[in-house]
Amino acid sequence: MDLLAQQLINGLFIGSVYGLFAVGYTLVFGVLDILNLAHAAVFTLGGLLALWLVETAGLSLWLAFPASVLACGVLGLILDRVAFAPLRQRADSNFSGLISSIAMAIIFESAALGLFGARTVRFPAHTVSVHIWRWGGISITSLQVEIVAVALLLMVGLTQFLNRARAGKAIRAVAENDRTARLLGIHVDGIIAFTFFISSALGGAAGILFGLYFDSLSPDMGRSIELKGLAVIILGGMGSIPGAIIGGLAFGLSEVLTVAITGTSNLRDAVAFTVLFAVLILRPSGIFGRRKMREA
Amino acid sequence: MEALGQFFAIYGSLVNFIGINALLALSLYLTLAAGQLSLGSAAFAAIGGYTAGILTMKCGFPFLLSVAIGSILSGLVGLVIGLPVLRLRGVFLAIATLSFGEVVRIIVLNLDITGGAQGLVGIPNLTKTWGIYLTLALAGYSIARLRRSRAGWCFESIREDETAAAAMGINTTYYKTLAFTLGALLAGLAGGLYAHLNYIITPREFGFSVAVDLLIYNIVGGVRCWYGPMLGAFLLTALPEILRGTGVAAGPVRMAANGLILLLVILFLPNGLVSVFTRPGRPQAGLPPAAVAEEV
Amino acid sequence: MRSNHCRSGVLATLFLAFILLSGQLCTGAAAAVLEAKIGLALSMTGGAAAYGATQKQGAQLAVDEINAATGAAGIKVVPVFEDDASQPQQGITVFNKFINGDKVALIIGPTLSNTAQVTDRIAQQAGMPVLAVSNTAKGITEIGDYIFRDSLTEMIVIPYTMKIAREKLGVHKVAVFYGNDDAFTKGGYDAFKKALADAHIEIVTEQTFAKGDRDFSPQLTQIKGKNPDAIVVSALVEEASGIVIQARQLGIPASIPIIGGNGFNSPALLANAGEAAEGVMMGAAWNASSILPLNKKFVEAFTAKYGHPPDQFAAQAYAGVYLACEAVKRAGSATDHKAIRKAMSEIKDLDTVLGKFSFTPERDADHTPVVQVVKGGKFAVFGE
Repeated sequence: MDLLAQQLINGLFIGSVYGLFAVGYTLVFGVLDILNLAHAAVFTLGGLLALWLVETAGLSLWLAFPASVLACGVLGLILDRVAFAPLRQRADSNFSGLISSIAMAIIFESAALGLFGARTVRFPAHTVSVHIWRWGGISITSLQVEIVAVALLLMVGLTQFLNRARAGKAIRAVAENDRTARLLGIHVDGIIAFTFFISSALGGAAGILFGLYFDSLSPDMGRSIELKGLAVIILGGMGSIPGAIIGGLAFGLSEVLTVAITGTSNLRDAVAFTVLFAVLILRPSGIFGRRKMREA
Repeated sequence: MEALGQFFAIYGSLVNFIGINALLALSLYLTLAAGQLSLGSAAFAAIGGYTAGILTMKCGFPFLLSVAIGSILSGLVGLVIGLPVLRLRGVFLAIATLSFGEVVRIIVLNLDITGGAQGLVGIPNLTKTWGIYLTLALAGYSIARLRRSRAGWCFESIREDETAAAAMGINTTYYKTLAFTLGALLAGLAGGLYAHLNYIITPREFGFSVAVDLLIYNIVGGVRCWYGPMLGAFLLTALPEILRGTGVAAGPVRMAANGLILLLVILFLPNGLVSVFTRPGRPQAGLPPAAVAEEV
Repeated sequence: MRSNHCRSGVLATLFLAFILLSGQLCTGAAAAVLEAKIGLALSMTGGAAAYGATQKQGAQLAVDEINAATGAAGIKVVPVFEDDASQPQQGITVFNKFINGDKVALIIGPTLSNTAQVTDRIAQQAGMPVLAVSNTAKGITEIGDYIFRDSLTEMIVIPYTMKIAREKLGVHKVAVFYGNDDAFTKGGYDAFKKALADAHIEIVTEQTFAKGDRDFSPQLTQIKGKNPDAIVVSALVEEASGIVIQARQLGIPASIPIIGGNGFNSPALLANAGEAAEGVMMGAAWNASSILPLNKKFVEAFTAKYGHPPDQFAAQAYAGVYLACEAVKRAGSATDHKAIRKAMSEIKDLDTVLGKFSFTPERDADHTPVVQVVKGGKFAVFGE
């Protein structure tokens, strides 16, 4: 019983991590209908930059965190200006945007490799204080609780922002139809840039939390989560914020339960991707996707 | 003449890889020509490659027969996967084929007959350079012919506007599945040739990044002309050597240069490299921007 | 219009081929001292970039030392570093360049066994000696008589470790945890499995992970439920650190030791796993804490030069350059590959940072492995 409870906790936690990564990913997709494959690279740079600020520049994490998140937001703006804005009027902008984001991902990753080296590093011990609670055979760390809380807060906060705030409504308007939005007097290019800023800032924040929890940061750390992030935003329905978090949880639980039920882990990823495949065939708009399916 | 011999001694293997990559790029091109974005070509190459390799090694089949069976099996799998998957569009199709690719890779990793992570070792080295280029020439010729046939026109009309094509009485499911299956057949063929080139194939050579590379070859080369993908495969496979030749130091800098070149091509050559050879003033085959805005 | 395209496409192809060709026509230098050109094919980008980087540092240090003492040694090393990008395809081109373009004396590398499986056959066919400094998969030196390696394989290191675990720690049933998508970790698993069977130790559960995974808690929870005496792990250090930390976090007590192989032997384990690494046991090819003067000097020089201590990959690459030099010196030629091969195979009890080093008749490394344990934040020889 303890075993199963622990596995559910494991699934909930890793699911929240996937969700955190996917929130920013899905935001850009919702607005532009374009996959930003550089998101994983921004995620990596966020984590490594915060580490550099803490370790080399000697800042406290409370300063390094927002500074790095802000820097990632700026990376988002650069991404939009360099890789996406020039392609916006192109016939094949979903193809070419995919490629230009891959090009930016390669450039960002090489920057991470050149600036921070290839070695796997971690935040200095005790950067954040971690408690471990144990009941019987179950253990939870305070950092896990905090990460789940951040994921849920983000889900609620962002949804509220998109529904209530002026800028949020503008984002939704652009997502629905940028030409109509433009006619309504919305500064479409500005809103898209703003979306990239938020998306990348969130990606960077996810990278820092990821690095803090797993005590492991490296220039290729984004690769391990990139594919799963894609799977998560499909499961949750592309463009849906609650969907990203809940899709993340569903994906995390499916992974963990595969291990728990079969007792082996060889087929963990195969099962997860088969589930994804099945969802796509049976319900292409995802679990929480909007009824109206876009032709991406 | 001596220089040429020297060139082949150093770059002979590169010439082979260019041929194989061009074949793989063409296999993806077949599906792209019908407007379908697939990330499954690498998996089909794996099916063809492993099947052919195992048949030659363990069953003593002659080289050509093994490669043919591998190719046909890959085509059959393409048919079976294609029927349900091709109902999806755009990015959704890409993700579905991607999950198919991941599942194939994980299965190959877990089977004994494929050698798992250590790969299928000791495949006889039977593929010759002329064989690769003969195949490439035949494939290129057939595809050029295909484009002018009824099927070719159907592919193109589906790519331009699937709904309209269906309304005009084109059996879109048939032609999409045809394109996908032919692509799988060709990918399987390339995989079989590749397996007999290197003594060994490993699951990692057929992963996500390879699928993305094939897409890059197509977009960089240009999908408006059948030789575009070949040109893309040629340039990008040779690029690391060209950079090496021009003295760009190994490591992150070369990686960044790689990304930068990709970015520049996609930004400034909308129809890929083939557009370099199009004289200015001639109408491009692509859609005019205005028509595109309507499509979104 | 289309046919026009096609003609210019062919022209462009020829043009690019010409660029490739012309980049290749400028080599050739004469030397007074015996100048040994050594090609080093290492992974500077891609999945194994972290290993290629430390290998390059180790090799560079050795080259600098040898060249600083040129007068005494009578040999000057000209290293040619190339990136195999952690891919067989790139590795092949690099090897072909070394063999036919740079015409090196011998090749060190490549970093990954998967790449070596392909490239070493090319070298064998061309009669070019290769010294592997990190490949541990089986079947590498079997490729042919020109292929050597100084990296002690898991097949040698692990049985020794398991014997000690059983005798000294009373380990009778273990859980096995390994990476199943990587040649090195899968090879380590095979070695563990055989060694465990030979030592009559029962396996209660087998779990796997994939390269790049960061979360190991589902598998470790499963392992915890089986109450093993020890957890045997075949992983590289990136994953090893995470596994060690998460095992302790999940409440697997320190009384259940975690036992690893060569992959664990890296200062990164101490740095990244911190206190959780305490008590971790590993069989390894290089004894970091060895007080042999040669090794002490290496560790100090390396740390002074790069600001961090060396790992086993650096040590094996460092030793590799010295072995290569020794072979060229004994052969008395930097171009006679046959003589270099012969000289290499005759190396016996050479003092290196790995210990007294010889090659077996099968051209594999022959020196005593070491079983280490993490004690007080440092590697110590087990039982000392």
